[in-house]
Amino acid sequence: MDIAEQLHKTIQDYIDRMPSLSTTVTKVLEVCNSPKTSANDLNRVISLDPVLTGHVLKLINSAYYSLPNQVSSLARAIIMLGLNTVKNLALSTAVVGALGKKSCFTALPMDAFWAHSICVGVTAKALAAARSVPSAQREEYFVGGMLHDLGKIPLNTCFAEEYAQALQLAALEQGSLLRAEQLLVGVDHGLAGRLIGEKWRLAPSIIDSLALHHAPEQAPDEYRDLVATVALANLYTNIYEIGSAGDMFPETPFLMSILDIMGLRWADLMPLHEIVQVELDKAQVFLKLTERENS
Amino acid sequence: MRVKFWGVRGSIPCPGPHTCKYGGNTACIEIRFDDLPRQIIIDAGSGLRELGNFMMGHDLPKGPITTSIYLSHTHWDHIMGFPFFTPIYIPSTRIEVFGPVSHERDTLETIVGGQMTYRYFPVRQAELAASISYANLKEGRFDLGDGIVLTTKYLNHPILCLGYRFEYQGKVLCTAYDTEPYQNLFCTDPNEPEYDELMAIEGETVAREQNEALEHFVTGADLLVHDAQYTAGEYAPSKVGWGHTPMETAIAVARRRQVKRLALFHHEPMRTDGQFDLLCQDYAQRGGEGGPEIFFAREGEEIIL
Repeated sequence: MDIAEQLHKTIQDYIDRMPSLSTTVTKVLEVCNSPKTSANDLNRVISLDPVLTGHVLKLINSAYYSLPNQVSSLARAIIMLGLNTVKNLALSTAVVGALGKKSCFTALPMDAFWAHSICVGVTAKALAAARSVPSAQREEYFVGGMLHDLGKIPLNTCFAEEYAQALQLAALEQGSLLRAEQLLVGVDHGLAGRLIGEKWRLAPSIIDSLALHHAPEQAPDEYRDLVATVALANLYTNIYEIGSAGDMFPETPFLMSILDIMGLRWADLMPLHEIVQVELDKAQVFLKLTERENS
Repeated sequence: MRVKFWGVRGSIPCPGPHTCKYGGNTACIEIRFDDLPRQIIIDAGSGLRELGNFMMGHDLPKGPITTSIYLSHTHWDHIMGFPFFTPIYIPSTRIEVFGPVSHERDTLETIVGGQMTYRYFPVRQAELAASISYANLKEGRFDLGDGIVLTTKYLNHPILCLGYRFEYQGKVLCTAYDTEPYQNLFCTDPNEPEYDELMAIEGETVAREQNEALEHFVTGADLLVHDAQYTAGEYAPSKVGWGHTPMETAIAVARRRQVKRLALFHHEPMRTDGQFDLLCQDYAQRGGEGGPEIFFAREGEEIIL
């Protein structure tokens, strides 16, 4: 087995036991342990955790369900699988997360990673709405944005030392984290994201959001708008420093090329500020409430 | 096809003086073919014990027993008869067990055979004399040989659950239990604080699509064995989300989908023979002109298709 294969195998072995984010675990446990949980609450709590969202979509798209069309919407998964199945799945994922939280997220602070993911999801969805993407498809934009950096989790956990160095290098050079990952880990988070997406059988559009949000021009025509939207939402989130996933220095030519793909100007994003902030506040309130109740 | 009900109850066996007529055993249905030496069993509820005893007297003297068991799902009332199915203790028996398995990592063998551990039962799975194989079944269409075609469809139950559609020489037997109509689980009242328009719309769309697919699955069945655990009056106030169907809905589906005979099945264990007789006077008449013949499935009853 060569080095690349070995790296892939390490990541693939880790994917199935990838824990939920500890930021959301308390709320997940509370919502899912309650016999009176509503579908709205369940959808909401899961959609605030990229790992859990991935796990639920994995379940419905997995071979067990062998459905003809891949599902990329949590609401659909909840109706089809039922509240109990989804609750139990969320509980088992959350418990793993609660046990495993000390060992993971050594270099990337988890709360900041969570805020970054949420913000990219919310921004992608708001961009979709602003550009009149049909409402039935907007959930996919949220999921694509929410999950886009999932590939960083195995890198950060399985190769903690190298990943810390990659983050330092990107910070020192004020450059691309993707390149630093390639140099120091040997796998970047786009590729790791693709491995996750393929193993979990996520919809191709979501896989491309994970794999190509730093190169949306490579996405096939039918998914390019989604991937470019996620890429733009990611840059927006990084520029305004909402949370952090280690990628602090967006390159201007890249930003320009995405705006070009989407036919937008940077100024068009200004009206998003308020929407994004409101959504982020709501999510934080939703989660923090629990911490108070449990403290 | 000859279809025989060996167990018709839901949830738990309920033997006693008030269940003699309709039967107290949990789900077990046998299919035989007049011109084929094959037997198919659907579900291994407590009715399987009686069926096993019958097979010991009827089939074993003619030669080794070979059979296939299709489990709708692995809730206890659908697998509890397995340890008491006498053919599993006969070395010459060959059994294939098929069924759906949820996301938990246990295999079908562990789930069904797991009842046979010392904790629950004096004989261990490993000690069984028969040759038993297990296969995880998914949604799809399968050629079972001899001209028998099986279509499987996921149903709406709190665990992964399959409906079966067996077709042979133009005749169709379809099972759809344990199941409940899909519903929009999301809040649809804009005045509620948790209301979310997109969730509400998508929930509505998905529920409608899934119900349509479920109805399509039973279309044109010569015999549809459908979940009918509750009346609409029992269902609405407190049983929503339990994974069972009101009789009224089962009848409406059968009427809409040109079903010829509808066996109301998976009976509520609290329901007595007397209550069934009363319900029968009303519900059996609801097929309408040219509509399905409707009856409450009775243990021991055989239907020829």
